[in-house]
Amino acid sequence: MIVVVGLSHRTAPIDVRERLALPSDAIAGFLSELLAGRVVAEALLLSTCNRVEVVAAGPGGAAAELEPIARAAFGQLRARAPDAASHLYTHSGAEGVKHLFRVAASLDSLVLGEPQILGQLKDAFELAKTAGSVGPVLHRVLPRALRTAKRVRSETAIGTGQVSVPSVAVELARQIFGDLRGRTALLIGSGAMAESVALLIGGAGAKIEVMGRSLERAEKLAREVGGTALGFDALDSVLARADVVISSTSAPGFVVGHDAVLRGRRSRKGRSLFFIDLAVPRDIDPRVGEIEGVFVYNIDDFERQVADTLSGRHREAQRAEQIVLEQVLGWERWTEAAQATPTIVALRTRLRAVLDNELERSMRGRLKHLGAVEREALEAMLDAALNKMLHTATVRLRDAALERSGLDVDRLERLTQAVSELFALDHELDLEELEAAASEDQPDPASDPVPAVPAGVRAIR
Amino acid sequence: MQELATVAFYLGFFAYSAAATLFFVDLARRDPAAATGGPGSLSRWAPLALGIGAGLHATHVVTASLLTHVCPVESLHFALSLSALIAATAYLALRKRFRLHAIGAFVAPVALTFLVGAQYVGAGSGTAANLPRTLLALHITANLLGVGLFLLAGAAGGFYLVQERRLKEKKLGGLTAKLPPLDALDSTEHRLLLAGFPLLTFGIVSGAVFASSLGHSSVSELLRAALGYATWILVASVLVMRALAGWRGRRSAYGTIAGALCVLVVIVLYAVRAGAGPVP
Repeated sequence: MIVVVGLSHRTAPIDVRERLALPSDAIAGFLSELLAGRVVAEALLLSTCNRVEVVAAGPGGAAAELEPIARAAFGQLRARAPDAASHLYTHSGAEGVKHLFRVAASLDSLVLGEPQILGQLKDAFELAKTAGSVGPVLHRVLPRALRTAKRVRSETAIGTGQVSVPSVAVELARQIFGDLRGRTALLIGSGAMAESVALLIGGAGAKIEVMGRSLERAEKLAREVGGTALGFDALDSVLARADVVISSTSAPGFVVGHDAVLRGRRSRKGRSLFFIDLAVPRDIDPRVGEIEGVFVYNIDDFERQVADTLSGRHREAQRAEQIVLEQVLGWERWTEAAQATPTIVALRTRLRAVLDNELERSMRGRLKHLGAVEREALEAMLDAALNKMLHTATVRLRDAALERSGLDVDRLERLTQAVSELFALDHELDLEELEAAASEDQPDPASDPVPAVPAGVRAIR
Repeated sequence: MQELATVAFYLGFFAYSAAATLFFVDLARRDPAAATGGPGSLSRWAPLALGIGAGLHATHVVTASLLTHVCPVESLHFALSLSALIAATAYLALRKRFRLHAIGAFVAPVALTFLVGAQYVGAGSGTAANLPRTLLALHITANLLGVGLFLLAGAAGGFYLVQERRLKEKKLGGLTAKLPPLDALDSTEHRLLLAGFPLLTFGIVSGAVFASSLGHSSVSELLRAALGYATWILVASVLVMRALAGWRGRRSAYGTIAGALCVLVVIVLYAVRAGAGPVP
């Protein structure tokens, strides 16, 4: 069982989040401090710009441990940023697992379906492993969270499409030109969004040229976006060689008209031309889009695309939630079944130790003429017999564990107690005492001329 | 050897079927990585399946021709099969460089159709006795290579028109979202035309020589010859207009598709002619 304590963009404003956020080199210290209190046995810290969360587990994995763990994690986070306390939330047990899976699947992200969170969670897990704060619980729950996220991404369209105007613009440029390296992009005018597009296209390898009403302003902007400045009189010549034109001026009329594009068409030799018109009122004459090989997208087109992507992601989120729920139920069943595991393991170990002891004695006595091959055969036979003997007990204990959430909540406890008592699982195995007790129970060997050797062993002999 | 030919045929059939299914699954899938067939894509196996299919296809053609003592280029049965094999091989060679993953959804079913369809075409082997065998083999080889390349160019042209339409109409979602970039489709189509045109020219010239030496011509042969000339004129026009008038994109795609359709009709005429006899 795990506890998640933290805050996110849903519960805390950015100034609170940034006070609580930890740089990656401070995370190991935070975790070792948390573990030093001995209440928390395992922990990891996820610290991103949108969330700071501690995922923690106790040493025994019992539900009763969850509250003290939550208090410890809460206390440590509050110590770091006292005013963050009112923004902190706690998710315990199955709720904690569900929250973790939703976070991994980007269902709790500011931008639904964004892919970065998965990498951030992987990094947090690696950091925790390096800090030595990962134990059996986190070793199981984190990989399952990552698998859930991968399932969500491959089975739903939650990660498809672009969710900002600049990224849609660049994606469209890629759909027209493929590789943007060696292409020429012309930026006309200024504006934050246009500059973002220019930076993204420049980052993809295109050459940026900047044009403004005043050459001085164009030069300043060119320095910011890593391009070269041009005067407005060069428009016709640039239109003849540019591949992408990003326009965002405050001009009242069209800056690029239909005729200007037609004039440049002959020297373009049919190369595609993509206009990204981010201005209102529009800079590019819409008739330009009717010219063959020329594509004109205005701000409405981009925003419609972003809205379509987001609404599509929200539709997909419902299917993603279903996957998360399935995964959480799977996890719950696994952890419930795992509650019977210690008893099953203890019983098997106990019985196997007795059988090994008997085998050892026989190999020193009546069966000392047997070689290594026969011994191996005997051991295999003991294994098979033990498996068959314990099969029903194992299945019933697991069933009892899985039924814990049902009506008969005490069945597992009754069975484990009975097994424990019958086989003295809570005591050290004293083989000598066991032998002495067994010999008292055995009939006199003289009255039984047939040695008590299993049929399989006779066959070997 | 007969067993090898049969096993290669059936395994090739399954590999092409698997490739076709995987390419279509990739188009329909929601995972963005599926668009490229890259490492994130489940169907990165699609090109592998196509490659295995092509290898088995080649094995089938070679072993079957050895068994029947018929040179693959001298039988329509093999020729049809070979042209699809050439298209699949050309696609595999160009796929990564030009990001043409989605075109596999056309190539794999075509290869499968030709592999299976060729079995139902008359085996018609042997050549007209009065024709020079070497020149005839070269004529058919050039034609087969040309057919393979033009079929692929036609597919690229078709995909170009779909991609251009969706970008013009700003309908960016759906299956077409995973089509290759517009310029990649255009330049692939151009390169395939450039590679196929000399082969087509050689095929046309040598075919004309054979036709004159055979003397008589049926209606079907005349139609085939006319379609061959039409293809040559179409492809030549597209290449000339690209070079001189900057014809690219839509107009070039229309010309290429028309050329590829002519090639397809020629193939159909070969396939349906009575007995599918000697190939020239």
